[in-house]
Amino acid sequence: MIDILFAALAFFAITGAVAMLLYKSPIYAALGLLISVISVGGLFALLSASFMFMVQIIVYAGAIMTLLLFILMYLNIEDKDLPQEPRRNFLIGLGIAIMLPINALILDTVAKMPQADMSIVEEGFGGVKEIGLILYKDWLIPFELISILLLVALIGSVVLAKKRKAKELN
Amino acid sequence: MTSLLGYATVSMILFSIGVIGVIARRNIFVIYMSIELMLNAINLFLVTFARYHFNMDGQIVSIMVVAIAAAEAAIFLSVIILLFRSKGKLDTDIFTELKQEVE
Repeated sequence: MIDILFAALAFFAITGAVAMLLYKSPIYAALGLLISVISVGGLFALLSASFMFMVQIIVYAGAIMTLLLFILMYLNIEDKDLPQEPRRNFLIGLGIAIMLPINALILDTVAKMPQADMSIVEEGFGGVKEIGLILYKDWLIPFELISILLLVALIGSVVLAKKRKAKELN
Repeated sequence: MTSLLGYATVSMILFSIGVIGVIARRNIFVIYMSIELMLNAINLFLVTFARYHFNMDGQIVSIMVVAIAAAEAAIFLSVIILLFRSKGKLDTDIFTELKQEVE
Protein backbone atom coordinates (compact mmCIF):
# COMPACT_ATOMS: atom_id res chain seq x y z
CA MET A 1 0.00 0.00 0.00
CA ILE A 2 2.73 2.45 0.97
CA ASP A 3 4.71 1.43 -2.12
CA ILE A 4 1.76 2.31 -4.37
CA LEU A 5 1.28 5.67 -2.62
CA PHE A 6 4.99 6.41 -2.90
CA ALA A 7 5.05 5.53 -6.61
CA ALA A 8 1.98 7.70 -7.33
CA LEU A 9 3.29 10.69 -5.37
CA ALA A 10 6.76 10.43 -6.93
CA PHE A 11 5.18 10.22 -10.40
CA PHE A 12 3.06 13.31 -9.81
CA ALA A 13 5.97 15.25 -8.28
CA ILE A 14 8.25 14.57 -11.24
CA THR A 15 5.51 15.08 -13.85
CA GLY A 16 4.54 18.43 -12.36
CA ALA A 17 8.16 19.54 -12.34
CA VAL A 18 8.63 18.49 -15.99
CA ALA A 19 5.45 20.37 -16.91
CA MET A 20 6.88 23.45 -15.18
CA LEU A 21 10.05 23.06 -17.22
CA LEU A 22 8.35 22.62 -20.61
CA TYR A 23 5.25 24.86 -20.65
CA LYS A 24 5.80 28.26 -22.23
CA SER A 25 3.00 30.05 -20.37
CA PRO A 26 3.90 30.91 -16.75
CA ILE A 27 0.38 30.11 -15.51
CA TYR A 28 0.64 26.48 -16.69
CA ALA A 29 4.16 26.30 -15.28
CA ALA A 30 2.87 27.53 -11.89
CA LEU A 31 0.07 24.95 -11.89
CA GLY A 32 2.59 22.20 -12.67
CA LEU A 33 4.77 23.37 -9.79
CA LEU A 34 1.68 23.40 -7.53
CA ILE A 35 1.05 19.71 -8.32
CA SER A 36 4.70 18.96 -7.64
CA VAL A 37 4.69 20.84 -4.31
CA ILE A 38 1.55 19.09 -3.05
CA SER A 39 2.99 15.68 -4.03
CA VAL A 40 6.20 16.46 -2.12
CA GLY A 41 3.95 17.28 0.85
CA GLY A 42 2.43 13.81 0.51
CA LEU A 43 5.93 12.32 0.53
CA PHE A 44 6.58 14.22 3.79
CA ALA A 45 3.49 12.55 5.24
CA LEU A 46 4.83 9.13 4.17
CA LEU A 47 8.08 9.98 5.97
CA SER A 48 6.03 10.57 9.17
CA ALA A 49 6.84 14.30 9.19
CA SER A 50 3.27 15.39 9.86
CA PHE A 51 4.18 18.95 10.88
CA MET A 52 6.28 19.43 7.74
CA PHE A 53 3.34 18.09 5.72
CA MET A 54 1.09 20.80 7.19
CA VAL A 55 3.73 23.50 6.68
CA GLN A 56 4.21 22.40 3.08
CA ILE A 57 0.49 22.57 2.32
CA ILE A 58 -0.16 25.83 4.19
CA VAL A 59 2.98 27.82 3.41
CA TYR A 60 4.02 26.50 0.00
CA ALA A 61 0.79 25.49 -1.70
CA GLY A 62 -1.37 27.91 0.26
CA ALA A 63 0.70 31.07 0.53
CA ILE A 64 3.65 31.14 -1.86
CA MET A 65 2.01 29.52 -4.88
CA THR A 66 -1.23 31.48 -4.40
CA LEU A 67 0.79 34.71 -4.22
CA LEU A 68 2.58 33.73 -7.42
CA LEU A 69 -0.68 32.87 -9.24
CA PHE A 70 -2.28 36.13 -8.06
CA ILE A 71 0.65 38.12 -9.40
CA LEU A 72 0.62 36.25 -12.71
CA MET A 73 -3.09 36.98 -13.17
CA TYR A 74 -2.74 40.57 -11.98
CA LEU A 75 0.08 41.40 -14.38
CA ASN A 76 -2.03 40.24 -17.37
CA ILE A 77 0.88 38.73 -19.27
CA GLU A 78 0.29 38.34 -22.99
CA ASP A 79 2.06 36.14 -25.49
CA LYS A 80 4.15 39.00 -26.82
CA ASP A 81 5.57 39.67 -23.35
CA LEU A 82 6.98 36.17 -23.11
CA PRO A 83 10.67 35.87 -23.99
CA GLN A 84 11.79 33.95 -27.06
CA GLU A 85 13.65 30.78 -26.16
CA PRO A 86 15.19 29.48 -29.39
CA ARG A 87 17.96 27.48 -27.70
CA ARG A 88 15.76 25.93 -24.99
CA ASN A 89 15.99 22.28 -26.09
CA PHE A 90 19.75 22.47 -26.56
CA LEU A 91 20.15 24.01 -23.10
CA ILE A 92 17.89 21.35 -21.53
CA GLY A 93 20.11 18.68 -23.08
CA LEU A 94 23.18 20.48 -21.76
CA GLY A 95 21.63 20.65 -18.29
CA ILE A 96 20.85 16.92 -18.33
CA ALA A 97 24.43 16.21 -19.41
CA ILE A 98 25.72 18.32 -16.49
CA MET A 99 23.37 16.90 -13.86
CA LEU A 100 23.60 13.16 -14.74
CA PRO A 101 27.13 12.57 -13.33
CA ILE A 102 26.31 14.52 -10.15
CA ASN A 103 23.13 12.46 -9.68
CA ALA A 104 25.02 9.22 -10.30
CA LEU A 105 27.68 10.17 -7.76
CA ILE A 106 25.22 11.12 -5.00
CA LEU A 107 22.85 8.19 -5.58
CA ASP A 108 25.78 5.77 -5.65
CA THR A 109 26.87 7.10 -2.25
CA VAL A 110 23.33 6.85 -0.88
CA ALA A 111 22.94 3.28 -2.19
CA LYS A 112 26.01 2.23 -0.19
CA MET A 113 24.50 3.42 3.10
CA PRO A 114 23.08 0.69 5.35
CA GLN A 115 19.39 -0.05 5.05
CA ALA A 116 17.09 1.23 7.79
CA ASP A 117 13.43 0.96 8.59
CA MET A 118 11.55 3.73 6.74
CA SER A 119 7.99 2.76 7.70
CA ILE A 120 5.47 5.21 9.14
CA VAL A 121 5.96 5.96 12.84
CA GLU A 122 2.66 6.02 14.68
CA GLU A 123 3.47 8.48 17.47
CA GLY A 124 6.25 10.55 18.95
CA PHE A 125 7.98 11.59 15.73
CA GLY A 126 7.49 14.69 13.63
CA GLY A 127 4.33 15.96 15.30
CA VAL A 128 3.71 19.50 16.50
CA LYS A 129 4.68 18.78 20.11
CA GLU A 130 7.99 17.06 19.38
CA ILE A 131 9.00 19.62 16.74
CA GLY A 132 8.09 22.48 19.09
CA LEU A 133 10.10 21.06 21.96
CA ILE A 134 13.22 20.67 19.82
CA LEU A 135 12.69 24.04 18.12
CA TYR A 136 12.48 25.99 21.39
CA LYS A 137 15.10 23.99 23.29
CA ASP A 138 17.96 23.29 20.90
CA TRP A 139 17.32 25.66 18.01
CA LEU A 140 16.22 28.85 19.79
CA ILE A 141 18.89 31.22 18.41
CA PRO A 142 18.50 30.09 14.75
CA PHE A 143 14.73 30.43 15.21
CA GLU A 144 15.06 34.02 16.42
CA LEU A 145 17.47 34.85 13.58
CA ILE A 146 14.97 33.44 11.06
CA SER A 147 12.25 35.62 12.57
CA ILE A 148 14.47 38.70 12.13
CA LEU A 149 15.08 37.64 8.52
CA LEU A 150 11.32 37.45 7.90
CA LEU A 151 10.89 40.92 9.44
CA VAL A 152 13.59 42.31 7.15
CA ALA A 153 11.89 40.72 4.12
CA LEU A 154 8.56 42.23 5.19
CA ILE A 155 10.07 45.72 5.52
CA GLY A 156 11.89 45.29 2.22
CA SER A 157 8.78 44.35 0.30
CA VAL A 158 6.85 47.28 1.82
CA VAL A 159 9.64 49.68 0.81
CA LEU A 160 9.71 48.23 -2.72
CA ALA A 161 5.93 48.45 -3.07
CA LYS A 162 5.60 52.10 -2.02
CA LYS A 163 4.48 54.65 -4.55
CA ARG A 164 7.29 56.48 -6.24
CA LYS A 165 7.57 59.36 -8.64
CA ALA A 166 7.57 58.76 -12.38
CA LYS A 167 11.15 59.83 -12.88
CA GLU A 168 12.37 57.41 -10.26
CA LEU A 169 10.64 54.54 -12.00
CA ASN A 170 12.28 55.15 -15.37
CA MET B 1 10.71 0.84 -3.06
CA THR B 2 10.06 3.10 -0.07
CA SER B 3 13.69 2.88 0.88
CA LEU B 4 16.24 5.61 1.39
CA LEU B 5 17.34 5.23 -2.23
CA GLY B 6 13.81 5.76 -3.58
CA TYR B 7 13.30 9.04 -1.74
CA ALA B 8 16.82 10.21 -2.58
CA THR B 9 16.20 9.46 -6.27
CA VAL B 10 12.98 11.49 -6.34
CA SER B 11 14.61 14.39 -4.56
CA MET B 12 17.68 14.40 -6.82
CA ILE B 13 15.47 14.27 -9.94
CA LEU B 14 13.48 17.27 -8.68
CA PHE B 15 16.68 19.15 -7.85
CA SER B 16 18.09 18.42 -11.32
CA ILE B 17 14.91 19.66 -13.00
CA GLY B 18 15.25 22.86 -10.96
CA VAL B 19 18.86 23.36 -12.08
CA ILE B 20 17.91 22.65 -15.71
CA GLY B 21 15.07 25.18 -15.43
CA VAL B 22 17.48 27.87 -14.23
CA ILE B 23 19.90 27.03 -17.07
CA ALA B 24 17.47 26.60 -19.95
CA ARG B 25 14.54 28.99 -19.45
CA ARG B 26 14.57 32.73 -19.94
CA ASN B 27 11.19 33.56 -18.40
CA ILE B 28 11.92 35.16 -15.02
CA PHE B 29 8.85 33.60 -13.35
CA VAL B 30 9.88 30.10 -14.44
CA ILE B 31 13.36 30.73 -13.03
CA TYR B 32 11.78 31.74 -9.72
CA MET B 33 9.68 28.56 -9.75
CA SER B 34 12.78 26.48 -10.50
CA ILE B 35 14.49 27.95 -7.43
CA GLU B 36 11.43 27.05 -5.34
CA LEU B 37 11.55 23.52 -6.76
CA MET B 38 15.20 23.18 -5.77
CA LEU B 39 14.42 24.31 -2.22
CA ASN B 40 11.60 21.74 -2.15
CA ALA B 41 13.90 18.95 -3.29
CA ILE B 42 16.41 19.85 -0.58
CA ASN B 43 13.58 19.80 1.98
CA LEU B 44 12.64 16.30 0.82
CA PHE B 45 16.26 15.19 1.22
CA LEU B 46 16.45 16.66 4.73
CA VAL B 47 13.18 15.07 5.85
CA THR B 48 14.24 11.72 4.35
CA PHE B 49 17.45 11.71 6.34
CA ALA B 50 15.60 12.88 9.45
CA ARG B 51 13.45 9.76 9.18
CA TYR B 52 16.48 7.60 8.31
CA HIS B 53 18.37 8.62 11.43
CA PHE B 54 15.19 8.91 13.54
CA ASN B 55 16.27 12.41 14.54
CA MET B 56 14.09 15.48 14.09
CA ASP B 57 16.85 18.08 13.56
CA GLY B 58 16.57 17.64 9.80
CA GLN B 59 12.91 18.62 9.96
CA ILE B 60 13.79 21.76 11.94
CA VAL B 61 16.30 22.77 9.25
CA SER B 62 13.70 22.19 6.56
CA ILE B 63 11.22 24.44 8.44
CA MET B 64 13.89 27.15 8.31
CA VAL B 65 14.33 26.53 4.58
CA VAL B 66 10.57 27.10 4.17
CA ALA B 67 10.85 30.39 6.10
CA ILE B 68 13.71 31.51 3.85
CA ALA B 69 11.65 30.53 0.79
CA ALA B 70 8.78 32.70 2.04
CA ALA B 71 11.10 35.68 2.57
CA GLU B 72 12.59 35.10 -0.87
CA ALA B 73 9.12 34.99 -2.45
CA ALA B 74 8.20 38.39 -1.01
CA ILE B 75 11.37 40.16 -2.17
CA PHE B 76 11.74 38.38 -5.52
CA LEU B 77 8.15 38.93 -6.61
CA SER B 78 8.09 42.61 -5.65
CA VAL B 79 11.33 43.21 -7.58
CA ILE B 80 9.91 41.38 -10.61
CA ILE B 81 6.71 43.44 -10.48
CA LEU B 82 8.68 46.69 -10.42
CA LEU B 83 10.88 45.60 -13.32
CA PHE B 84 7.91 44.31 -15.35
CA ARG B 85 6.01 47.57 -14.83
CA SER B 86 8.90 49.69 -16.03
CA LYS B 87 10.18 47.40 -18.83
CA GLY B 88 7.09 45.42 -19.92
CA LYS B 89 8.82 42.12 -20.59
CA LEU B 90 9.67 38.98 -18.68
CA ASP B 91 13.07 38.21 -20.18
CA THR B 92 16.00 37.71 -17.82
CA ASP B 93 17.69 40.51 -19.77
CA ILE B 94 15.67 43.04 -17.73
CA PHE B 95 18.16 42.53 -14.93
CA THR B 96 20.95 44.10 -16.97
CA GLU B 97 19.14 47.33 -16.05
CA LEU B 98 20.54 46.98 -12.53
CA LYS B 99 24.10 47.69 -13.60
CA GLN B 100 23.36 51.16 -14.97
CA GLU B 101 24.31 54.08 -12.80
CA VAL B 102 21.66 56.14 -11.07
CA GLU B 103 21.85 59.87 -11.68
